[in-house]
Amino acid sequence: MSSPGHVFTVSELNRAARELLEAAFGEVWVQGEITDLTRAPSGHLYFTLKDGGGELDAVRFRSRSALLADAAVAPGTVVLALGKLTVYEPRGRYQFVTTLIQPIRAGALRLAFEQLKQKLEQEGLFSPDRKAPIPAFPERIGVITSRSGAAIRDIVSVLERRWPAVAIALFPSSVQGETAPAELRAALERAIRFSREVAPIDTLIVGRGGGSAEDLAAFNDEALARAIAACPIPILSAVGHEIDFSIADFVADRRAPTPSAAAELAVPSREDLVARLDGAAARIARAAGATFRARRQALRSLLRTSLFRIPERRVETLDQQLDQLVSAAVRGVVAVWEKRRRAARHAEDVLRLSNPALPLERGYSLTFVSGSRRPLRAAEEVREGEILETRLGRGRLRSRVEEVNRE
Amino acid sequence: MKIEASLKKLEEITSRLEKPDLPLDEALALFEEGLPLAASVKEELDRAKLRIEQVLETSKGTFEIEPFDLHAN
Repeated sequence: MSSPGHVFTVSELNRAARELLEAAFGEVWVQGEITDLTRAPSGHLYFTLKDGGGELDAVRFRSRSALLADAAVAPGTVVLALGKLTVYEPRGRYQFVTTLIQPIRAGALRLAFEQLKQKLEQEGLFSPDRKAPIPAFPERIGVITSRSGAAIRDIVSVLERRWPAVAIALFPSSVQGETAPAELRAALERAIRFSREVAPIDTLIVGRGGGSAEDLAAFNDEALARAIAACPIPILSAVGHEIDFSIADFVADRRAPTPSAAAELAVPSREDLVARLDGAAARIARAAGATFRARRQALRSLLRTSLFRIPERRVETLDQQLDQLVSAAVRGVVAVWEKRRRAARHAEDVLRLSNPALPLERGYSLTFVSGSRRPLRAAEEVREGEILETRLGRGRLRSRVEEVNRE
Repeated sequence: MKIEASLKKLEEITSRLEKPDLPLDEALALFEEGLPLAASVKEELDRAKLRIEQVLETSKGTFEIEPFDLHAN
């Protein structure tokens, strides 16, 4: 065996390969279909470009100019991408770092989605008068999702905090892969039968946590969509993240942007209800107190009129009985205030949870029309060409509206 | 729907109590009914513990209901 000449360290070899690749290709255009798209919390986009013969790992780093164009980066879309071929040294993988992405045409997956959406819409399956209201005080919530996914964990943790006075019936199903649509349909049928035969289910949540477009594809199944539309129990859909729309979302009685949000929509808030109860107790105590005081005063003057000719001692006894009645009433009030003080201990939690900056840290954002202080809630509040200000967890954005989609 | 019914009842009690010229015995009865009702709903909420079960189906089509442990999955 011949002795080796120059021995590279792994890092050296990766670096040399990177320099070689970068020098050999420079900046190039490449055409391919986007798959396996992941939006990292950092804002970077990771995806694969593929054609019939191969695949290429690609990344689009977050930058100010990237934000607008990102809308074009959807799975299944065939794009022209400009960038550099390089090696990601820590993993020794070569990848394409793009700076510009231009869509050429929507991919097959996207086309099928649009066609099905149009078909079901024409049949009237998305019609607002088909939508059942979600019950305000459910006793049992059915959840159709994977037993090991993030969705059930998120739902349980929201309900534990917000409204534990409810039972969850989990109907496990796989939520991705070829068998998922049929399994989801079977779980839905099981839930409906359970509700009829065993214990009534007030609200159903159907969904899963975030994933790539391929991962979420089961929720674009036509038969599943029809089963959801026909379901006699009010259904909340909760598929993926805020930005993901599925066919299930359109046929459900209400779309929730995430599984956690579905749990929030499915139950009242414990804190709101406690505030309502305290308000009612205070009103009752006030109203009753006013009545008691007025009557006591009237009685006392009556007792003291000579008309009744009651001995003074008897008057005192009666007066004392009145006092006892009133103080019993007051004790009742005090007991309520005691409970209320205990509720105040939760106030700190409430404050913490209602801090408007907290959702921003999780990736939600607040958008205002420039100069306005009222957050935007609906697309129809803005016009094309208007300047918007967006508050993110860190920093702000200023942008111009290109298109208003009122849907 | 127990909590919902209690809330409706409370609302009714409150508006009746706030009527002027309410007879004393009626005011007392409403007061004695209303405050414990408000307190009992709160206690029920404080005591409430989320119940989770998973519903499976056997090959015979019967239901199999098991407690679901989030941390075991």
